[in-house]
Amino acid sequence: MKTSLKTYWALFTIFFKAGTFTFAGGLAMLPVIQRDVVDKYQLMSKEDFLEYATLSQTLPGVIALNCASFVGRQVGGTIGMLVAGLGATISAFILMILATILLQFIPQDGPVAGAFQGIRIASSAFILSAAFTLGKHNIKNFFGVFLMLAAFLFVMFTNISAPIVVLAAGAAGYIYHRLKTTRDQKEKR
Amino acid sequence: MMLMYLKLLLVFFRIGALGFGGGYAMMSMIIDEASRFSITSEQFASLTALDMVVPGPIAINAATFIGFLAGGFWGALFATIGVMLPSFIIIILVMRFIERYRENKVMNSFLSGVKPAAVGLIAAAAITIASGVLLLPGASLSALLADPLGSISIVGSAIFFIAAIANIRFNANPILLTVLAGIVGAFLLS
Repeated sequence: MKTSLKTYWALFTIFFKAGTFTFAGGLAMLPVIQRDVVDKYQLMSKEDFLEYATLSQTLPGVIALNCASFVGRQVGGTIGMLVAGLGATISAFILMILATILLQFIPQDGPVAGAFQGIRIASSAFILSAAFTLGKHNIKNFFGVFLMLAAFLFVMFTNISAPIVVLAAGAAGYIYHRLKTTRDQKEKR
Repeated sequence: MMLMYLKLLLVFFRIGALGFGGGYAMMSMIIDEASRFSITSEQFASLTALDMVVPGPIAINAATFIGFLAGGFWGALFATIGVMLPSFIIIILVMRFIERYRENKVMNSFLSGVKPAAVGLIAAAAITIASGVLLLPGASLSALLADPLGSISIVGSAIFFIAAIANIRFNANPILLTVLAGIVGAFLLS
C-alpha cells in the first residue's frame, strides 16, 4: 500500500492541531482528534477510531501519542505513525522549552509571582479532580476501592516506588480474577 | 553529559512503559524520579502550573521540563524520546496481535488491577504536589498536624478547595478557573 504525501500531511495536521490547541493533557485531545479523523478527513470509521481511543487509554504510555500511533499506523504504516506522533508532541516540546526558560525570569515576589503561585495551586487541585473523574470509570467494586487505597498509601507513606505498585496491582488483579473464576466454576457444579 | 542523556532516556522510557492511566497517573512516577535529577518540590509545582498554560500531553510537558532542567536542550530531547518510545513499540505489537489482545484474559485481569491503582497514584500525586505549594516555607507534614493554621497558607488552601470543588462538583471550566486563580493570587499571594 502506497501512502500519498497528502495523507501524511493530513495526519501531521490533525495531531499537530489537537496537540497545539488543547490544554490540560491528552485525554482532552481525544474528542478533537475524533472530529478530524472521522468526520473531516474520513480516514477511518467511527467504530475503529473509538476502539483505538479506548485502547489508547488502557495501554501504558502517553494517551494522545498512543492514539496518534494507532491512527497513523493504520492510515500510513510506520512512517504515518511517526508523522502523527511528531504532530501530537512537537508543539508541547517546543513551547515547554520556551516556558522553562521564561520561568527563570518570573520575579521572586510581587503580583506576577503571586499570580503564578495561584495557578500552581489551582493546577494541583485539577490533579485531584482528575483522580475523581477517573475513579468514577475505573472503580467498580470493593476490590477496586481496596486497590486504590492500597496504592495511595504505599506511594504516600512508604519508599516503594510507583512502578512497583503498578505491577503489584496488576498481579493482584490477575490473582483476584483467577480465584473468582475457580469459585464460579465450583458453584456451577 | 552523555551518561546523563542516557539516564534521562532510560528513566523516561520506564515511566512511559509502566504509565497506565495517562499523564496524571505518571505524575507520581515522575515525582519519584525527579529527585534523581535534583528537581525541587517547588520546581515540580511550577511544572504542574505550566501544564495548564502550555498545551499538549502532560507526560511530554514533564519530560521536556525535567530533561531541560537536568541537561539543557539535548536533555529535554532525550527525555521526551524516552517517554515516547514505549507508545510506538507497544502500538506496533498490539496492532499485530489485536484480535488476540482483545480477548486476552491475562491482560484484561492485569488491567483490572492496574486501573483502580492508577486512581490512587493520581490522588497521591495531587496531595504531594498540593502540600508542596500549600505548606509555608520550612513547614513539614508533621508540623501541619501539630499546628495546622500556623504551617499552611490560608489563602492558598482556599484557592485549592474552591478550585477542586468547582471542577469536581460543578464541572467548571479549568482554563477559566486557572485565570481566576491567577488573578486572586496576584492580589492576595504576592
